[in-house]
Amino acid sequence: MPLLRPVLAVVRRDLRTAARYPLGMTNFVLLSPFYQLILPSLLLGSAFLVQGRSVGLAAMAGTSDLPGFLFTGALVQSLLLGTCWGVNLTLSMDRELGTLEHNFLAPLRRDTFVLGSALASLVISTLAGVLLLVLGEVLFGARYLSAVVLAMPALLLTMVALVGLAHLIAAAVLLLRQADMIVDGVTFALAVLSGVLFPVTVLPVWVRPLALALPTTYALDVLRHQALGTAPLLPVPLAYAAASGGAVALVVVGRWTFRRAERRLEAAGTLVQH
Amino acid sequence: MSTPDGLRAFGATARKEWRTVRRYLANLAFVVFWPLVLPAVYVLEARGFAGGEARALGAFAARAGTAEVAGFLYLGWAVFIWLTIVLWGPGASLRDEQLRGSLESLFLTPSPRWAILFGSAPAHLVLAMAMLATVGLTLRLGLGLAVGPAAALRALAVVAASVPLLFGTGALLGALVLWLRDASGLFMLLRGLFTVLCGVTYPVAVLPGWAQATAAALPPTHVIGALRAALLGGARLAQLWETIALLAAVGLGLCAAAVLLLGRVERHARHGRGFEWY
Amino acid sequence: MRPLAVVPVRPGAPPAALPAIEARGLTRVFRRGRRTLAQRLRRQPDTRERFAAVDGIDLRVEHGEIFGVLGPNGAGKTTTVRMLATLLEPSGGTIHLCGVDALARPRQARALLGAVLGGERSVYWKLTGHQNLEYYAALYQVPRDATRGRITDVLAAVGLSDRADDYVERYSTGMRQRLALARALLAGPPLLLLDEPTVGLDPQASADLRERVRNLSATGKAVLLTTHDMDEADRLCDRVAIIDHGRIVALGSPAALKRAVRATQVVELEVEVAEPDEPGLVAAFAQLTTVAGSRRAGGALQVVLHGDATRQLVPVVVEAAWRNQAVVRRVDVIPVTLEDVFLTLTGRELRE
Repeated sequence: MPLLRPVLAVVRRDLRTAARYPLGMTNFVLLSPFYQLILPSLLLGSAFLVQGRSVGLAAMAGTSDLPGFLFTGALVQSLLLGTCWGVNLTLSMDRELGTLEHNFLAPLRRDTFVLGSALASLVISTLAGVLLLVLGEVLFGARYLSAVVLAMPALLLTMVALVGLAHLIAAAVLLLRQADMIVDGVTFALAVLSGVLFPVTVLPVWVRPLALALPTTYALDVLRHQALGTAPLLPVPLAYAAASGGAVALVVVGRWTFRRAERRLEAAGTLVQH
Repeated sequence: MSTPDGLRAFGATARKEWRTVRRYLANLAFVVFWPLVLPAVYVLEARGFAGGEARALGAFAARAGTAEVAGFLYLGWAVFIWLTIVLWGPGASLRDEQLRGSLESLFLTPSPRWAILFGSAPAHLVLAMAMLATVGLTLRLGLGLAVGPAAALRALAVVAASVPLLFGTGALLGALVLWLRDASGLFMLLRGLFTVLCGVTYPVAVLPGWAQATAAALPPTHVIGALRAALLGGARLAQLWETIALLAAVGLGLCAAAVLLLGRVERHARHGRGFEWY
Repeated sequence: MRPLAVVPVRPGAPPAALPAIEARGLTRVFRRGRRTLAQRLRRQPDTRERFAAVDGIDLRVEHGEIFGVLGPNGAGKTTTVRMLATLLEPSGGTIHLCGVDALARPRQARALLGAVLGGERSVYWKLTGHQNLEYYAALYQVPRDATRGRITDVLAAVGLSDRADDYVERYSTGMRQRLALARALLAGPPLLLLDEPTVGLDPQASADLRERVRNLSATGKAVLLTTHDMDEADRLCDRVAIIDHGRIVALGSPAALKRAVRATQVVELEVEVAEPDEPGLVAAFAQLTTVAGSRRAGGALQVVLHGDATRQLVPVVVEAAWRNQAVVRRVDVIPVTLEDVFLTLTGRELRE
């Protein structure tokens, strides 16, 4: 049965619904990253400036462009938070409203809805992330190299990985009545481990393997290397290979987990209970 | 209604709120997990910005008044989390009653309105104190911060003076959201403002002049500053006394304002569409 | 109301000779109580009490038939519907929808049914009526070139054509219910499942919806609806299954079920009598006719009697009350209803 049309229907549904909450969406995708991530970090970073230069960051990461470092991280965080929270909120609201039952009545694989919601969230968060990059340059003096466009494949791999993660989040939403705590914790941990706030080389040694297992770590590293000229963790081709492997693994594990959760709940009779 | 009856109503509200609060595991996570993990992330970030360069660390110490970066960040985030507890606890309690449909039955009772307004505060005060105790232990045992009895007493005095301030803020917002009927949007905005303007993650000295003036007008800025001065800056009680007195006075003023505002909201509801309209 | 155009039979659609629904031995067992995380981790045996919400139900619904499932709250109606809709896995039994094994091929089975479960809560309030249907048309793989026409048709069939471009949040409850029905009709399924479709609707909206359901059945669709409203079941359904504690206690046309009560009329009495004298009075009535039930309410005894010749019955019953030192406060003579059928079969009222 062709998959594309129902997936696009779900994307359209989510985008139309998001458009009905313009203030809420603006706050979530644009303002929140500013006052929760970018501004506090910029201000903390500025406390360490020596004659207006981020000498510490230059020593650590190979760039003294503090705004550039943070806004590139904000792009990846936007994708990560947008996708995970988007899927969580859509599924939870569907269950609360009573529409989940009817969605699951359709003659489709149920992970169609996860894919559709993830894609819709990625559309919104990509736009928001790019806008943040532009604002970083215009308002805060970030300077990106023209080679930043070469990082597009890395961002696409991030999106693939996030689709896999979305399936895991969806499984959690189905299994738990209230998955907000899980989503909060997971997105926070992934953002930190991916190097959104600081170079992963700052992490304690025992945590670094976790960071190096994430496809988002390599994707962000490649983005910063291309945009700011930072020293990469791995040579770029190897970084792509690692990101690709991680993304595929996340998709496979995510889909398998979602299907197991779905079957378990069908058997327990709580698939659509709210 | 007499004062003893009012106290009884207050106690009943507090007990009801506590029964609700203690049922949620998320609350425990909030007071134990986030006060430890969130600042730790910013400590790592600070290490990234310092990069091991003595010049960078020296620049921080000059601006912050202390070279104790970890303690600086932990105290800032502790106040931020306290504020979050207040906003989503007492700040949202009346709105929650309204959404559940029970606000009307509360206002039908002869209970004094201050009992309804502040009754939810004690349960969240317990959470807040548990959180602050966690942070205190982390500073002492985890970060090895030398905190003597005198410093601890100074910090306790700041915390005590801040209680009416923060819960008065929560009560005032609680009355306001009944009117505005949008709690989440307002709270997210306020939390964002506090994060950016009150020096949670940075010394206020790095802000431009106009922003420093704005920060000075916000009570949480002084709570954070006083706690840092008491525990990290070696300030004596005599030096903190004015700040402590100001915090207590502003706090009592906010509490009074909250009671007055709730009275206005109640009159507006009685003349308009009632309590349950949202 | 415009009748729906007949939907052409799709290639591969099952032959009309097969029943729309055939369920045998349908069972669903739940466990009461919670199992803690510690118990799960320790793999302790599950000792929670088991109860059968549906306990061996056999159902057969033909095309063009309106089949009602009538029972009080908690009888197992909703559980049954959700098993038929493949939203809930049965603990036992088989389900075939138009010949398709719904347990082995759930997606194929779902393509054959349209459902209204949860009514007004099951449509997207932040979208317009038209956008809701566009969305579901894509989910149900309604051919692209037929989608627009199909949406127009179903909107006309439920009387929402002029409000299609309004946001659903501005619809009344009845309109949302009708939109939910329109969604169920989009793909032209041969079978409709309606779970309490008139709950929350005012009498006029309920009557309107019932009329629409009748018209759908006339086009050849099989309709299975659940209700706890015996009037609705009586007026609307060709056959009714009365369900109680997960089992079908009676099955047949409303007329046949009422005949089984062995009465054509019901006499309801309200009698003032002292409690010690009650058994004697009820025994006296039982000698005259069938006592369907009695209970004490508001300080008086309420008795339900079944009979045929109520003209002779009423004075005789009043005299029997007088002889037993009881005073008759009220006498009502009403036709037998499905409520009486339920009372006769279970000893309880449908509304308990």
